Amino acid sequence: MSIGVTLHRASPTESVIAAQARDVVKIYGRGDTAVRALNGATLSIPAGRFTAVMGPSGSGKSTLMHALAGLDTIDGGQVLLGDTDLSGLGERQRTLLRRERVGFVFQSFNLVPTLTAAENIALPLTLAGRRPDQEWIDELVAILGLADRLRHRPTELSGGQQQRVAVARALAARPEIVFADEPTGNLDSRAGEALLGFLRRAARELGQTIVMVTHDPNAAAYADRLVFLADGRIVDELTAPAVPAILSRMASLDTSAPASALDEEK
Amino acid sequence: MWRLALRNALAHRARLALTLIAVILGVTFVTGSLVLTDTSQRLLDDQFRTASAGVDLVVRDAAAFDSAMGVEVERDPLPSVAVDRIGAVPGVAAARPVVRGSGLLRTDGKAIVPSGPSLLMSWEPAPIGAFTLRAGRPPAADDEVVIDAATAGGHHIDVGDTITIQAESTARLRVVGLAGFGGSPGLPDSTVGLVDLPTAQRLLGLGDGVTEVAVIAADGLDPQRLQDRVATALGTGYAVTTGRDIAASSAEAAKTQVGYLQLMLLALAAAALLVGAFLIANTFSIVITQRTRELAVLRAAGATGGQVLRSVLGEALLVGIAASIAGVGLGVAAAAGLRGLTGAFGITLPDGSLIVEPRTVIVALAIGIGVTVTSAIGPARRAASVAPVEAMRRSSAPAAGGRGRTVIGSLATVLGVAGLAAVIAVRPSAGMIAPVGAAALSVIVGLVLLGPAVAPALARFIGRPLDLAGVPGRLARESAARSPRRTSATALSLAVGLALISFMTVLATSVKASIAQSYKEVISADYVIESARNEMLGGLSHHVHHHVSELPEVAVASRLRYGHWKDGQATRALTAVDPVTLPRVASPHMVAGSLDALSGGGVILAESVARQRHLSVGDSLPMTFSRTGTQRLPIVGLVLDRDAHALSTDYLISLETFSKNYREHVDASVFVKIAPGVGAAVAKKAINGVLADHPTAQLRDQAAAVAGRTLMIDQVLGMVTALLTLTILIALMGITNTLALSIIERTREIGLLRAVGMTARQLRWMIRGEAVFITVLAIILGVGMGIAFAAGTVAALGSTIDAPLVLPVGRLLAVVAVAVVAGLLAGLLPARRAAKLDVLTAVAAT
Repeated sequence: MSIGVTLHRASPTESVIAAQARDVVKIYGRGDTAVRALNGATLSIPAGRFTAVMGPSGSGKSTLMHALAGLDTIDGGQVLLGDTDLSGLGERQRTLLRRERVGFVFQSFNLVPTLTAAENIALPLTLAGRRPDQEWIDELVAILGLADRLRHRPTELSGGQQQRVAVARALAARPEIVFADEPTGNLDSRAGEALLGFLRRAARELGQTIVMVTHDPNAAAYADRLVFLADGRIVDELTAPAVPAILSRMASLDTSAPASALDEEK
Repeated sequence: MWRLALRNALAHRARLALTLIAVILGVTFVTGSLVLTDTSQRLLDDQFRTASAGVDLVVRDAAAFDSAMGVEVERDPLPSVAVDRIGAVPGVAAARPVVRGSGLLRTDGKAIVPSGPSLLMSWEPAPIGAFTLRAGRPPAADDEVVIDAATAGGHHIDVGDTITIQAESTARLRVVGLAGFGGSPGLPDSTVGLVDLPTAQRLLGLGDGVTEVAVIAADGLDPQRLQDRVATALGTGYAVTTGRDIAASSAEAAKTQVGYLQLMLLALAAAALLVGAFLIANTFSIVITQRTRELAVLRAAGATGGQVLRSVLGEALLVGIAASIAGVGLGVAAAAGLRGLTGAFGITLPDGSLIVEPRTVIVALAIGIGVTVTSAIGPARRAASVAPVEAMRRSSAPAAGGRGRTVIGSLATVLGVAGLAAVIAVRPSAGMIAPVGAAALSVIVGLVLLGPAVAPALARFIGRPLDLAGVPGRLARESAARSPRRTSATALSLAVGLALISFMTVLATSVKASIAQSYKEVISADYVIESARNEMLGGLSHHVHHHVSELPEVAVASRLRYGHWKDGQATRALTAVDPVTLPRVASPHMVAGSLDALSGGGVILAESVARQRHLSVGDSLPMTFSRTGTQRLPIVGLVLDRDAHALSTDYLISLETFSKNYREHVDASVFVKIAPGVGAAVAKKAINGVLADHPTAQLRDQAAAVAGRTLMIDQVLGMVTALLTLTILIALMGITNTLALSIIERTREIGLLRAVGMTARQLRWMIRGEAVFITVLAIILGVGMGIAFAAGTVAALGSTIDAPLVLPVGRLLAVVAVAVVAGLLAGLLPARRAAKLDVLTAVAAT
């Protein structure tokens, strides 16, 4: 455990690889209707960094995230989480891997409605039958400003509070990597900014590896590094991206991208 | 909107499948019950109509009533001169004497004991006789007999063989012919022996008396006019009845039993339908909750509330029609199975081709459709009240019950519980069954109304042990607590079934215990001889008593007889005892008067009966006997209720008084005290030696005697439990259905849980846990209600049965265990389905 902690809080200058995709292929459908959602995507996620993934609708960014997170299987190539090759794992092993080593923040419906905020935060740990590290959770709760909300149920929380609980839950087990899928998609801009600010802090101060899928250039600007996806492969990347730079890159990728970015991706 | 209803029904056919099955099962049950009892009744009608088809009038000894509790009374024989007097009446074409009684057939030394009667009759050719020869010739001499072809076939008897007939006297007779009855080779569940008139009179000990005179009217003469003429000619003391009326009243008597059965079957069918109604209401409300947004879009697009209401009811109507039609079809098939089931529990019904009355189809369809549509009214009204703005909301929180509903529910529950408690506390002396029934109904209705309001608290309280099962356990409990309406309806439907089963079990056990206890305390005989056949009046030949009392190994043999009498419109039973010998085999405790005084021709009443009727020793009780009409019997004593029950009825008369007022001469029981110094084995052997001639007679020790008396209770309990299992089955389908539907509703939640690391195994346990949890909730409510209702009933019966409340712990635990296992099974399918949900699609579901 303590080794893991040291690893996660390693200084950002050390370039350790937390996860990588090597020539990943994912095909939906069969025959004539087959769609190559990922078509040779290769990507390394550095540990302790906040990485954003952008791309036009249908570029495969959600699929890539699902593959990296062990939520979905792939049809070709290799996905490594740390040293673990996910492509060789069965459903149950992937479930256990998610529980032990991965955290998630979805766009919405992040919380189990029947559990309180505190119980939702501890959920992956209690599912695994592990005792939560109370000190760590208290720290997370304090940073996220949830201390007076712990006994509330999700329906009694605002959207921003719900997403912050989701972030706390994702970080509670000190996972090797946290995946966030449009985490600010359902939030107003103030709540969204607060959440993004926290994700950046988690990477910079706590050394947490974070991968965020987004279509929002403002959100992507919070990341240390931004990769662009198009037609199922990585086509470009930016370090310390700023909004104008992001917009111009996107425009060069696909002129219609900003309009279609409003759509939800499959 | 109709097209929408049809589309919806088809689109949700998977969701509605179990609802469909529930309605089908209920309708099948109703149809099966009706078809079975109709068939039985029609067969009995046909049988008696055939029996008197060729006869215009029947002349018998007059009787105050024809039958009681489904048993036709026995009448005095007519003198033979009556035949000539009737024959002399103008317009009578023929008057023939008929003798009828019972005589057991034996072949190769073994008795043929049918489950019905062993008939012995004088042979009469058609049209008077209903039997027609199928082989051989009619009996012509005093050593000849014709038997029914069915019995002959079943026991390999042929023309030319010799058989024995055992009636008042016994004779060996040669079989000279085989007869059929109408189109069938015999009468159902019976044996028939047909001999010539003098032989019948001799075997039945009638001298030259005859049972009845069958009359055929001259051509063209209306039987009813002849009836008046014959009655006038004969004067009082004779009953002149048309053949058609005889057939009708005999059939009516025989049908009484079928009527009881029909009532019971329909009551059980009603229970099944009630449980089905819960399931239907539940399914519709869940489906509608899931469709809230769709409905709101409809409303926003301009559909009126009424249109939405009609579309939901239309959907229910479609389900109701489809299920009812299927149910009627299956019900006809199920009738045969039901007959087998009742047969297995000792209730034999005539066998024959099934009769489906138009009424059956109409009733079954009306009930099936009615129940379905009625159950859907609540959900439909909720659907109609969906506001168009809800189309814009993400999800709507399920509402608990309204306040009015909760208040009324609490009131009904409290009233019912208070009523039950009052009955239990007061232990009223008079029968108070009706208030207990009302209280029980009030509790059930109250709980149904109250359910949604109390379910969450109850679920969290009872579900506490689930915490031990970790997060899946907690989530299972919380998910049950979160949908209070759904949880309470699902649990209550199972609870109703379990309540009925535990009610029946506890009540039956208590009554049995009471019978055993009173028997043990009152009867001191070493043995009792009773007929193994379950006959209303006992059916033990009076020869048994005679032979047994003559044995040197026997100190005393005292017998009981049962008789029916009319108490105004009511039919009651009495017990005739020998006041001299009874005290040596039993110790009835007299509250007033004495047993000896019975010898003077009086009657002894059970204490509570006397109190209820404001009678005491010295008063007189008018009793109407079939043979002698209304007699005022002086009340000579009062006996403790329990002790009266040990002797089976509330009214005791002497055997002497009995023989004055009754023609029946079968014994119910012979109590035996063995002589001092004789070993049990020796006495048993001697008695069994005598009983060898009476194949239906059984020597029973105390335990066997009690078992014989409680056999009926066991049979009814067995059958009712078997049929209530259907109710439980429907309730379990309700659990499966509810869970399956709630999984659809919780797809995203399940996706989330899986994403953050809940294993498929944990998920399966969560769903199964919820199923078991609902079952446990139902068990607590159901078994609790069942015990409480039984306690109330036992208290209400009070002194009538004087039963202590006996909890059959073993049996109740078995019910609980079966229910839990069934609950687990009910959760299997939904659990598997939930575990198979693809994580990604579940997460992405909207």
